[in-house]
Amino acid sequence: MIFKIFSKELKDTLRDKRTLIMMIVIPVLVFPVVLNILVGMTASFEKDAAAKRVKIGFVGDTENPVISEFLNMPITLGKKDLIPYATKETLLKDVKKDSLQMGIVVPENYKAILDSMRPVLCEVYYDATDMGIKERAKNYMEYVEKATRTKRYKSMNLDENKFQVVETNYNNTASDKEMIGKLAGGFLPYIFIAFGFIGCMYPAIDLFTGEKERGTIETLLTTPVSRLQILIGKMCVVVLSGLLAATCALVGLYLSIEVLDLVENEQILTIIRGILTPGFILMLFLLLFPLTVFFAGVMIPIAVYAKSFKEAQSIITPLNIIMVLPALVGLLPGIELNIVTACIPVINVVLATKELVAGTLDTGLLLLSFGIMVALAMIAVFVSYRHFEKETNIIM
Amino acid sequence: MIKVENLRKEFQLGRTQQKELATKDKIAIAVDNISFECHPGRIFSLLGPNGAGKTTTMRLLSTIFKPTSGKIEIAGIDAVAHARDARRKIGFLTGSTGLYARLTPNELVKYFADLYEVSSADFKQRKEKLFTLLDMNEFQNKRIGKLSTGMKQKVSICRTMIHNPEVIVFDEPTSGLDVITAENIISLIRDCKTEGKTVIFSSHIMSEVDLLCDDMAIVHRGKLLYNGTMDDFRANQQESSLTGEFIRIIHESNAAIV
Repeated sequence: MIFKIFSKELKDTLRDKRTLIMMIVIPVLVFPVVLNILVGMTASFEKDAAAKRVKIGFVGDTENPVISEFLNMPITLGKKDLIPYATKETLLKDVKKDSLQMGIVVPENYKAILDSMRPVLCEVYYDATDMGIKERAKNYMEYVEKATRTKRYKSMNLDENKFQVVETNYNNTASDKEMIGKLAGGFLPYIFIAFGFIGCMYPAIDLFTGEKERGTIETLLTTPVSRLQILIGKMCVVVLSGLLAATCALVGLYLSIEVLDLVENEQILTIIRGILTPGFILMLFLLLFPLTVFFAGVMIPIAVYAKSFKEAQSIITPLNIIMVLPALVGLLPGIELNIVTACIPVINVVLATKELVAGTLDTGLLLLSFGIMVALAMIAVFVSYRHFEKETNIIM
Repeated sequence: MIKVENLRKEFQLGRTQQKELATKDKIAIAVDNISFECHPGRIFSLLGPNGAGKTTTMRLLSTIFKPTSGKIEIAGIDAVAHARDARRKIGFLTGSTGLYARLTPNELVKYFADLYEVSSADFKQRKEKLFTLLDMNEFQNKRIGKLSTGMKQKVSICRTMIHNPEVIVFDEPTSGLDVITAENIISLIRDCKTEGKTVIFSSHIMSEVDLLCDDMAIVHRGKLLYNGTMDDFRANQQESSLTGEFIRIIHESNAAIV
């Protein structure tokens, strides 16, 4: 009987355009659209930043070593125009006005400082909201410092190489998979959790509040089917819709990298391909399943209680923020799955998935997270049943 | 047969409902110790003004609500203790019955037949009979949402009758319907009587009751004011019309309460 209710409700749900858009169309499109925008923006930003001609104002005579090195600088470090300024004040004013991207002030007594073998303190001014300008300034000044230092050693007849006493080679023991998993692994579960929630939302409202509003629930309750069977049949559709939305997001991710070729970075491609394996997907859905049941269990009592589609929507939509917001915690660096975080719903799924992406998931913590979500899902089903059983809730 | 004994239904009132009803009572009594019987092959009408407790009584009979106290027997089954068994014997139709707009009449009727566990052979036979009788074959595969009110009402009738129920509960079945659609319902009620089924229908329209009923009960504020045959009601009426007599009984009850 549960299957009969389930298959009817599924058929009904799949014929609802609004649900289909939220459950299939948007999740499939989200990765291609987001990646397309990100890739486009990044490529365009990098291209623009590299090609950008920078106006650099300076205070000091052109004879000073800093400015002369600027004049000799290779074009590969970026195109630039050097503009002399009489005072620091006018230079700063133009940097603030954005008519200059960078300002350099070399002290007037630079010759005396150089002669006394002390470093010349150069002040560099820039507007950090101008993306990439700080990096450009650093590159310029590193070049100037290296070139000036080489000249000083030469003037002293010293071999520069002899002054390097310690050489450090930094080695990262984390694999690329771990690096991307820990740094960006939180983003993927966030997307799947968000779509799991959105996917549940419309079917939950339609199958419960909608039935009340349309007056179909009354006839259903006069059939020899128990309320628990009706609830489970409907709840299965709500849960399936949430999982379907998450699956569609995965399909979107697959299309983005395999069909649309939106990701060019080989390392990221390897990681995403690792994610799109049957083993990973199985583990992901193992965690998403109880979470989706929990979402459905939170939404159904609201949908049962609400008197109209609008009322249900106005309560459940803000709930989206409350329920899915903790998933953002997974994006924060340093927060890891441990005994405490494994007991916090939603966060545990995000962190477990993050560890899964990185390949560092502890089985004990996975089971604890899964157990917590299953327990919550069971409580949610029980609460839903209590609300669905209440006569005044289901009959208007 | 329907047998109702000392039926009572109370609803707990929340703060919002107390405000809406302008009362401090924590309980509202929708049905207050009513008893009546409906017999096979006869049409029983539950008559009362709006808010009298008719719909609550009908919902109690169709086991949507559980009574606070009292007994309900449907076709020999204790409907309070064995609600699911009793439901197999009941067909339920209201004027405001909604249908699944995204299904076709064919799919909807099959769905309800499945819920009532009607065998494939019986379903095929009954569907053919009902679809032909109600002239539904032409639109059986169209989405219900695209059908006219009259067509939708035919689908509702078919849904109510597909499991061949012994007892039919009609809650204000013609409410809000146009004359032609209402006529379909009236004719269905008559057919049910001819077939020997037990029929109970609630209404606040006296002319409809006069036209169809063999037995009648008047309810007001949850209490039973009259229970008897239509013939007795007509024989003892003090007013010139049945509607006038109905209004007199209601006013008399109001006066007694004041």
